[in-house]
Amino acid sequence: MSILSLHNVSKSFGKTEIIRGVNLDIQAGERHAIIGPNGAGKSTLFHLISGKYQLSSGRITFRDQEIQNRPPYEIARLGLARSFQVTNIFPRLSVFENVRCGMLWQQGLGYSFRHLLGRQTELNARAIHLLEEINLADRADFPAGELAYAQQRALELGVAIASGADLIMLDEPVAGMSLSEAEAAVSLIRKITKGKTLVMVEHDMNIVFDIADRISVLVYGEIIASDSPQAVRANPKVQEAYLGEAALAAAGDNDA
Amino acid sequence: MGKFAAWVGYLIVLLGLPQLFDSVLAITIFNQMAIAIVFALSYNMLLGQGGMLSFGHAVYFGLGGFMAVHALIMIEFETVYFSITLIPLVGGLIGLIAAVFVGSFSTHKAGTVFAMISLGIGELVAASSLIFVSFFGGEAGVSADRTFGPPFFGVEFFQDVEIYYLSAGWVFVSTVFMYLFTQTPAGRMANAVRDNPERAEFIGYSARRVRFISFCTSGFFAGVAGGLFALNYEFITEENLNAVTSGRVLLMAYIGGLGYFIGPIIGAVVLTLMNSLLSNYTELWMLYLGMMFVLTVLFLPRGFAGFIMMHQTAWLRGKLSSLFLPYLITGTPAIMFGGSILAAIEMLHHEGEPFGFLFLTLDSGNTLHWLALAAVGAASYFACRRSLGQLNVAWEEANRMDNPTEGGPG
Repeated sequence: MSILSLHNVSKSFGKTEIIRGVNLDIQAGERHAIIGPNGAGKSTLFHLISGKYQLSSGRITFRDQEIQNRPPYEIARLGLARSFQVTNIFPRLSVFENVRCGMLWQQGLGYSFRHLLGRQTELNARAIHLLEEINLADRADFPAGELAYAQQRALELGVAIASGADLIMLDEPVAGMSLSEAEAAVSLIRKITKGKTLVMVEHDMNIVFDIADRISVLVYGEIIASDSPQAVRANPKVQEAYLGEAALAAAGDNDA
Repeated sequence: MGKFAAWVGYLIVLLGLPQLFDSVLAITIFNQMAIAIVFALSYNMLLGQGGMLSFGHAVYFGLGGFMAVHALIMIEFETVYFSITLIPLVGGLIGLIAAVFVGSFSTHKAGTVFAMISLGIGELVAASSLIFVSFFGGEAGVSADRTFGPPFFGVEFFQDVEIYYLSAGWVFVSTVFMYLFTQTPAGRMANAVRDNPERAEFIGYSARRVRFISFCTSGFFAGVAGGLFALNYEFITEENLNAVTSGRVLLMAYIGGLGYFIGPIIGAVVLTLMNSLLSNYTELWMLYLGMMFVLTVLFLPRGFAGFIMMHQTAWLRGKLSSLFLPYLITGTPAIMFGGSILAAIEMLHHEGEPFGFLFLTLDSGNTLHWLALAAVGAASYFACRRSLGQLNVAWEEANRMDNPTEGGPG
């Protein structure tokens, strides 16, 4: 059953067409990676789905509801959460407040000024628990802006998943990390997206072939393949357009 | 428990002040402080907590105040019948209504757009106040008498001290509610939207709606402050809703410290004191106020409250006392340097006539005075610079810990 579907989605900036008629089905529960060369439009696609950009044409359905061109906060309330390529947290709020803010709406607290946050014991316990999961419990009271880079990336993930959304979209979650940091981040992503649907953009092929159940390849605004990792790797079109020998070798398959 | 004690302490100070200082001047100052505290706290809801820089906050203060004076007039002529203790509520409701109207279009964006709209609305309302004379009373303003209406438990508010206790009650209640607001989802999301409006939208919140809620709440409490003003002075003029008043509340909140809840309270107290006391000693107090603002922006970006909180680490580690001597060594020449600058400004101001400065008599016609001043200024400047090193060392020593979090004082 597909949880998210894109039908002929296009996006132009002026005369430049960045996304050209993308069709994509994300199955509930799968881990789906979107790969493609720089400038292929991967981040633009994320912005279209999450409501940051308006579509030029096409339709996007999330759980059978049309969500195209709705404001980000409405899409987020439906249970679609995302992270950002450039760390996008609340720098002056504490680490704890960051994840708790991420939980407020789904907790039903909305814009309330009749509830005191200190009294929400269950909510606060859940925020602490999430901080433990992302290994930031000992930094709970720090201003988020003062965390080290890898910790900020972990918090970025934490804010994204805090709402308990069913569909989580991660935009290059391990970009700029050292090898060991990236490994830790990957196991963290596995852990926190268990039982959920994951869509991620990632450049590191090791990670993509490691995590993904399915891979879509986006080249110049078009999806040229959408299949299992083995099939994508074997696809001549993909090899030609995108995957160099080096990338395949890095993916641990020297025969291709 | 610590918080509860702080609130009890706050209430005791508010109620105890007129017992300690009961002169007419003191009560006048306390009344001004009460008004300023509510006004500055309401301003900080916008700028400090919500990231909205307003140049027109006096609009809500002034409109609330005008309506409050009209309500007093209505009580006097028995058009309406209620206790004047509720007058601040009238001001608050008018502030709220004005904020709902303006906020409906001004909170779309923060930053420059919001600041410019606030400036425009401020000018517009100030100009209107001279046009719609029947409500605003033109340049003379409108005045009323607060001693009508039903007495409040026998009190008829003939005296300023009675108004002070009424104001103190309103200040306390307003402070409590403004503090509680910061602890609600709406208040916390105001901080989140201030920090990063884009991300707030992706966790389910409309940044505009969050700003609108803060803006309206802030307008309400500005109106309450306007109502307190009306009760205290029994008149109000255009000056109370124009850009000068808007600028003054910005200074109060900023100098006190935007990032802390108590910052604006400190700012309101300090600026009211400067306004009332310093103006007795020198005509140049506005200049000094401006200098203090610039120095605060440059050297204490988190205001007086930030300066106090900067010492929290040293305090928790029991090392605060180790800073006393270094502060004295650097602070004494620093104060002397500042004093010689002030003396020079005053000498230029009192061209040709002797005047008293602290315990001295200075005369700008006397070359010897200028030379002495230059010598003291230069000596204290170099003494201050030389001693900065030891202060830095002492600061590092007092704050050294495993996690580097806070920078030094300079």
